[in-house]
Amino acid sequence: MPMPGLMSGRAGSVEATEMNAAQAALAIEGGDLPFGGGLLALVRPALNLLESGGVLAVHSRVAGIADEFFTWCKVEHHELLESTPQVGYCRLLIRKGGLGAPRGVPEQGLELRTRQGRLDASTVLESVPFPPSADPATGFAPRGARVEPGGPVYPFVLNDRAHTAPPDVAQLYDQAVSAQWNADTDIAWGRIKPLPAPLQQALGQIMTFLAENELSALYVPSRFISRIHPAYVEVGMFLSTQLADEARHIDVFLKRARKGGGGLGISHAATSASLHSLLVLEDFTEAAFLLSVLGEGTFLDLLRFIEDNAPDEVTAEIVRRARADETRHVHFGMSHVKHALQHDKTLYGRLEAAVRRRSATLAGVNGVPAAVQDSLTVLAARGTDAASVARGHEKFRELLHVMHDNRVKRLLNAGFTPEQAQTLSDLHTPNFM
Amino acid sequence: MADNTILLGAVAYDAKVVPIWEGIREHFRKQDVPMDFCLFSNYERQVESLLAGHIDIAWNTPLAHVRVRKRTGGKSLSLGMRDSDRDFRSRVIVRKDAGIKTINDLAGKSLAVGSRDSTQARILPLHFLKAQGLDLAKVKLMAFDTDVGKHGDTGTSELDVLKALHEGRANAGTVGDLIWVLEQAAGRVDTGKLEVLWTTPGFDHCMFDALPTLNPGKVEAFKKGLFAMKWENPEHRRILELEGLKQWMPPREEGYASLVAALDDQKGW
Repeated sequence: MPMPGLMSGRAGSVEATEMNAAQAALAIEGGDLPFGGGLLALVRPALNLLESGGVLAVHSRVAGIADEFFTWCKVEHHELLESTPQVGYCRLLIRKGGLGAPRGVPEQGLELRTRQGRLDASTVLESVPFPPSADPATGFAPRGARVEPGGPVYPFVLNDRAHTAPPDVAQLYDQAVSAQWNADTDIAWGRIKPLPAPLQQALGQIMTFLAENELSALYVPSRFISRIHPAYVEVGMFLSTQLADEARHIDVFLKRARKGGGGLGISHAATSASLHSLLVLEDFTEAAFLLSVLGEGTFLDLLRFIEDNAPDEVTAEIVRRARADETRHVHFGMSHVKHALQHDKTLYGRLEAAVRRRSATLAGVNGVPAAVQDSLTVLAARGTDAASVARGHEKFRELLHVMHDNRVKRLLNAGFTPEQAQTLSDLHTPNFM
Repeated sequence: MADNTILLGAVAYDAKVVPIWEGIREHFRKQDVPMDFCLFSNYERQVESLLAGHIDIAWNTPLAHVRVRKRTGGKSLSLGMRDSDRDFRSRVIVRKDAGIKTINDLAGKSLAVGSRDSTQARILPLHFLKAQGLDLAKVKLMAFDTDVGKHGDTGTSELDVLKALHEGRANAGTVGDLIWVLEQAAGRVDTGKLEVLWTTPGFDHCMFDALPTLNPGKVEAFKKGLFAMKWENPEHRRILELEGLKQWMPPREEGYASLVAALDDQKGW
């Protein structure tokens, strides 16, 4: 007696005419397996191997099996072409219908290269590249999976590669994963000593300002993750590392403000207005431009300033680590914006308009909050005598120039004209972010 | 509401009924056929509402359909059905340990059956078994009258039948082939305990019914809208899959002859 199982295989579809068992693409020997007692577990995977219209032959020794398949084929919208009783068994021919047939091509033959035993996300992306566009009806299906039709249309709005997925995003994700650090154990918290009161107070204000800005950098990208089509999941994966980075920065900045006997400073209305104008953005590319390219880009110079003028090595280490993470975020923002600009020339005008709109909204904001400016001055002065303060003030003025120059460089790098770059940099919020 | 809006009645046997009819209404709107629907909790109320002219068209079970035919002296309009409504069958399932090898072996045994208004789980299988020579008076009927008024749409009474069989409370039972196959396909049938004794002849299921007095413009508009739904159109397909069909079909009456005979015999009108 033949054992149940796949008898033979010949892939591909079969013409609907002149069917017989020999012309079926696949054949199943069902033996004595009952319909609901295991036979379907052979039949369904075999049908999955066929295209719509392909024919499967089933041999069964179970009495009444044709009745079961008559109804099942009707429900599943397959076609029972033939059920021929033979001596001791029944031969059925089933033509696969279109209901629920997964769309796409089966993944096979992918060779994922390992590098020194490691398999990174950028290698996977090379083998399974981003599609130019994606269908929101494929839902959470991972890129490369075949998708059964009939699922709901998901509310994804970032469904095209040009506006969503820069080509180096997987590399940035790989870098981010390797560069994660621990806010609890990687900082020598025990070495922090109390500072003179003016400096402690200045540091508390600066850390408050940093944490407040980093909160916006946590919230703003998080709003877009759920809008990104999973075909571009590496973008969501990168943004999730960015969120983890920002969470860690908020953690260390607040710890530094409080450690050594200090406390938090003031949250200013001007900062709040500036960050609110980022939170309400609805366009992913505009947000990447305003937050990552202009905002976090400017933030890099601020962090460098604090690092250079840090009152102790631990503070310098905290800010240095945060700056390394922020550099990656700026890199992603630049890649995103440049990639989108390459594919969509109208974007130059839209991004410029976004900067102008934000500037108009923030018309009442004339500069970084005075307390932040004073704290940065005191930090750079390292003291409160007149000569030191004058030196600190000069360094602060220099910082504003550095910020402007570097913004212009990034804008030129993104492809804006020198005039546009100057104008946009001037219009950028004086709140830094 | 404009007079040319077709008002269709359907029974809310499941939550999915709402998205089905909202989807169909939207499809009709795109076809420039104004249509709206109202939902009933049972087919008896829906049939009465159709006969009273409160609704234009009723999406009816076979039992509701033949009642409308009878009440209108056979003059009601049958407008369409699903491809899947054709060639329903019922199954007589037995426990393997019950010693039942033929239909006549059911005499003296307990036979679980579905709701009294379920065509596939009670009315027709009993009718067909009697026609095969079984003396129903000698069978111990175990009836599961659940969701009465829904005419078996929910399948609850059929699941009750299968549960009674699995648990050994009944020796045999009758269910529609749809539930029987779906339950097996989901792996919920113990084929070590249960097997099919007999499969009934085929019969037809649901039908769109209207009174003969329905405005011919509405009749034509309804058919136009209905038969414009295509499996190949993804928007249509979503609705068709929910409603369990691939294609709307023209009506046919011969598939209800056995049900009419059964109701005559069982005094089930």
